[in-house]
Amino acid sequence: MKKETAQRPHSADWPTLLKDNARSGGQAQRAVHAPERALWQYRAGGSARSSPILFEGILFVTSVNGMLHAIDAATGLAKWKFRADAQVHSTPSLSADRVLFGCDDGKVYAVDRHAGMKVWETSAGAEVWASPVSCNGVVFFGSADAKVYAVDAASGRARWVRELGGRIYSTIYATEQHLYVGCGDARVYCLEAASGKVVWSTPTGNGIDSSPAVAGGLVLIGSEDFFFYAMDANTGEVRWKYETGLGIASSPAVSGDLTIVGSKDGFLYALETQTGHLRWKAAAGELVTAPAVIGEGIVCIQSGGTLAFDLATGKLVWRAALGGSLQSVPVLAGDTIYLASLGGEIYALQ
Amino acid sequence: MDRRTFVKAGCISSASLLIEGLDPMVRADTAQPPVPPIELHGLPGYKPSSLGLPGLFPGRVVEVRDPAAIVHNRVSQPVVRRLLDQAMKELTGEGSGAAAWAKFVEPTDIVGIKINPSGAPACCSSPEIIREIISGVQSVGVPARNIVVYDRYSYEIDIGSYQALLPPGIRIVGIQEAFAAGGEYEPNVYCDASFFGEWETRSYMANIVTHEVTKIINVPTMKDHSASGVTGALKNLAYGTFNNVARTHRAPYTFTNPVIGLMCTVEPLRSKSVLHIMDGMRQVWHGGPLTQVQDFIDQSGILLVATDPVAMDTVELEAIEKKRQDKGAPSLWQQDPKSITSNSEEFYHDASKNLFFRQPGHIAAAGRLGLGVADLKQIDHRRLAA
Repeated sequence: MKKETAQRPHSADWPTLLKDNARSGGQAQRAVHAPERALWQYRAGGSARSSPILFEGILFVTSVNGMLHAIDAATGLAKWKFRADAQVHSTPSLSADRVLFGCDDGKVYAVDRHAGMKVWETSAGAEVWASPVSCNGVVFFGSADAKVYAVDAASGRARWVRELGGRIYSTIYATEQHLYVGCGDARVYCLEAASGKVVWSTPTGNGIDSSPAVAGGLVLIGSEDFFFYAMDANTGEVRWKYETGLGIASSPAVSGDLTIVGSKDGFLYALETQTGHLRWKAAAGELVTAPAVIGEGIVCIQSGGTLAFDLATGKLVWRAALGGSLQSVPVLAGDTIYLASLGGEIYALQ
Repeated sequence: MDRRTFVKAGCISSASLLIEGLDPMVRADTAQPPVPPIELHGLPGYKPSSLGLPGLFPGRVVEVRDPAAIVHNRVSQPVVRRLLDQAMKELTGEGSGAAAWAKFVEPTDIVGIKINPSGAPACCSSPEIIREIISGVQSVGVPARNIVVYDRYSYEIDIGSYQALLPPGIRIVGIQEAFAAGGEYEPNVYCDASFFGEWETRSYMANIVTHEVTKIINVPTMKDHSASGVTGALKNLAYGTFNNVARTHRAPYTFTNPVIGLMCTVEPLRSKSVLHIMDGMRQVWHGGPLTQVQDFIDQSGILLVATDPVAMDTVELEAIEKKRQDKGAPSLWQQDPKSITSNSEEFYHDASKNLFFRQPGHIAAAGRLGLGVADLKQIDHRRLAA
């Protein structure tokens, strides 16, 4: 898969949801230790319901009050702020020199990452909560109007639009050939990236709020029907499914042969990716709707606070009483963890 | 006497009646603080509607129940579709679902569906039922863009994943982002009282109720409530419409009686609330409203439909009370100081413990305010076979 970011990637960079288009924030092994102190704290002035991204020392984060903040990751000082016309729930994503994010009025903005000025905007018919995904010069995103949009990454001009059967809050997983996305109509879709044509769709028992990961030829995704699914990426055939105690809105993290997913029943589940067999199950204390990320030997999740579990055993390793967000994913960058909280505070922890 | 004085006087009178209605032992043992003066300010010049509380069918409650409506904690869309259709026809006496819905909404209405997502994901207004309500409203000719599903806290709506699970086109609105955050409220419509010496003495009505919607379909859940006894149609309307209501509780005391009923009398909330559909798929008999402990949540498969929130909540209260009796838990009316705990973990795991002296009398108090029928003997409770 071609990375869209034009700049030479730095190991600490995290330019889109779960690090990159391969969602490797959920698949890489990165060193993370228990945080001992807060390096800085930044007040966004509004609740943060999305995940931060990090690129070349600048943290980009949206807040529900319509702001995109560019924050110096070393100092916690604002570099610039951009105000959108409506509330923002979308996690930003980097495409070349542009920061992309969706808005509740249906607009998707591309903002210059250096100057904080709008480069282009495009409109869907309803709110865009999913994170725009950039691949091969095209930006893909789903909207609550039930449509998937493909627009030119440089200009924002429409390439194609595909209507599905329900609201889309799932962030698209893009490969060169295909897009994978969950939908409120209870189906998981595979679309042709070039045309938006539906390659396959597979039903689940209820709507889908979770974003997929793709690993080992499987599309891995949770449904509000309480099941976690592994579908053949080529055909959509269900290879296995695992039942949890309540609906699944969290997106999975994959490491080696292990897939970690959280459920609203308050547990994290570690499943063998190829078989769906349960390796371990750990109580998070509160419900889990945020995606998990994997560090060196641990899996991190925001659920009440920020928690780290031993990847091999599921035993709680550490807990930080910060960043109690419902949706936000911590950014793991070297010895620093960046968190966005429901209360609107952004933290850098060391 | 102007309206402000009249309302104040009326409220004090009502509150006095309520205090007098309590068991003498209760007063002696719990020393509930006296109800302070409460001022209510409705929307100036608003013309009340005959569809408003207690609505077209005072005292009538239709109950439908089917064990197949919820299996392994999953709500069945086809079964709730059938149950709701059956209940709507029984409530209205109409021969078709569309005709039944047309009793309450017109094609030109802006319809607000007031959900109860607090307690999500373990117990909240089921998206499956909300889908059927949307379908019913659309059967009258209301376009999707004129249907708004709303509640106070958007983060609770997110936990329920309503935004992904409901049909495209309808709006989903959280009035406030979070507990302490601001929101959209009408400064001229409020309830003013100082319960415990709090610095902010007003609770304002949400703009979505005062100015946006023309009809409200209320979808409470069937739950015990640590403060008010149960949370049903009345509380879902009152505490889901006004802000700054947590100030009515200071453990172990609560002024949910009479505040819940009083708030429901304020226009235009009273007039716009035309129909109540109680989601009893899950029945929380202890730990409400927020418990996630499945031990206290029965999968009952019940749906109640009424225009009278007092009658509906009276039926609910009886159901929760009976469930607690069956489970060996103390009555919701129990006012034993030994049952009070400040340890929320203890409360959540021990059905004999509570955080407040519950006030289930708020339902009868609302009845005395003219919002409906609270006497079980006078309630036309129609139980339909599945």
